[in-house]
Amino acid sequence: MSKQQPLPSPIVVKVENVTQRFRVMSERPDTMRELVAGFLRHKVSYRDFDAVKNVSLQVAQGQMVGLVGRNGSGKSTLLKLIAGVYKPTAGRVHVEGTLAPLIELGAGFHHELTGRENILLNGLLMGYSKAEMRRREQSIIDFAEIGEFIDSPVKQYSSGMHMRLAFAVATEVDPQILIIDEILAVGDASFQQKCFARIRSFRESGKTILFVSHNMQQIIDQCDRAVLLEHGAVLADGVPAEVVETYKHIWAPEMTAAD
Amino acid sequence: MKELVRDTYRYRQLIWALAMKELKVRYKRSVLGFLWALLNPALMMLVLTLVFATIMRFSIKHYAIFLLSALLPWTFFAQSLGYAVESIVGNGELIKKVAVPKLVFPVAAVVSNIINLLLSLIPLAILVPLMRHPIYWTWLYLPVPMLALIIFTLGVTFLFAAANVYYRDVTHIVQVVLSAWFYFTPIIYGLDLIPVNRQWLFKLNPLLYVINGFRLAVYYGMLPRWQSVATSFVCAFAALLIGYGIFRKYQDDFVFYV
Repeated sequence: MSKQQPLPSPIVVKVENVTQRFRVMSERPDTMRELVAGFLRHKVSYRDFDAVKNVSLQVAQGQMVGLVGRNGSGKSTLLKLIAGVYKPTAGRVHVEGTLAPLIELGAGFHHELTGRENILLNGLLMGYSKAEMRRREQSIIDFAEIGEFIDSPVKQYSSGMHMRLAFAVATEVDPQILIIDEILAVGDASFQQKCFARIRSFRESGKTILFVSHNMQQIIDQCDRAVLLEHGAVLADGVPAEVVETYKHIWAPEMTAAD
Repeated sequence: MKELVRDTYRYRQLIWALAMKELKVRYKRSVLGFLWALLNPALMMLVLTLVFATIMRFSIKHYAIFLLSALLPWTFFAQSLGYAVESIVGNGELIKKVAVPKLVFPVAAVVSNIINLLLSLIPLAILVPLMRHPIYWTWLYLPVPMLALIIFTLGVTFLFAAANVYYRDVTHIVQVVLSAWFYFTPIIYGLDLIPVNRQWLFKLNPLLYVINGFRLAVYYGMLPRWQSVATSFVCAFAALLIGYGIFRKYQDDFVFYV
């Protein structure tokens, strides 16, 4: 009933009765030979699987929402629906404002291109203009601590450098909504701190953050709301400490044994 | 269709960056770099001229120019298709993580090949006076068949890029189709070589009209008849309408199959 409190902040992410269905092929015909063979055997070898089932969720501006749930509970699918990577099978997703999906950092990087070229390409992929990326280029390089390597192909980067550059590009563009999918598990301690410092400053400037983590302490410390997903449905939604408690309670080892 | 124009314009910087990426990656780690875009057609000219004019003794005057005027647009078509057919599947990892309009990938593949085509016209323009073949004013007409060719190529690439998402056989089929199509199109020979009662068959080839436009302008110094130009544009827009229509219908599903 916490929603009854006066909330002046506008809703920026609206998920309405969204279902995402995946067709899981036991043997998906990747080639025509397999397709023809399948027809001949009169075999329809797929089953439908709802990764997200009739989920509704509203996120107000400035909220930091943690998504928790076991592997395969639909957290990543939900994030990808909000990020617009998937079009929902049913329902509607509405997002107000620019959105930076940190779903897999550096997804748009091409290993043969230099760091500088990748900054531009990645920014364009996220929908920013060339002029905008040029303007932010230096602060991205500074934050990522890449130094003179910025003009070397990224295939020569260490995985830490790769991560740092990707995080810098995704956050330096100043998105209004940030989606973070378990990416902070990697990287060394000092960079993680730097990332969290940046996330904090994002929060202070009133930005919305959706955050997936398996680190319950992070959820309790960082988020002001948590959502528990199970089998693609929302099981609990509210104060992080309580939701985490529910999660632990349901999935305590003795309970799973009984399941 | 309106959407195609709007998205292409809205994402023009991304398309350009992707096209440049493609060219950079293609010529990266080669000593001559971008020069290969010029050298490739130049060397091909040399080989083909040697084979067809010297060894097989085709009795066409300035055969190299005759050949290249049709071969360069063909190469553009074949290479665009070869690249674009893989463009969705090849960028699958990206499509799975970033919300980006899918059309940018095939369009970028075509754009990178437009640059190649323009570059390859340079050795041709050098060769023409070198062989003491006149440079006709009809060269100025080239943008017209080029436009029709680009539109047609886009349509075909949309179709095959989409089909390849579902059935990877398409990549291989494209190669076979292209080599058959190459011989079926008057490139290494002229249409007049074909017996008159068989010519109707060759006239079913939508590429004939554009390629003919190139050859007429560069080699013969003539302009095609308006019927031929009209046919080339009708074919081009029909291909785009069908190709993009199918692509658009399935594009939201690509992410599940790449």
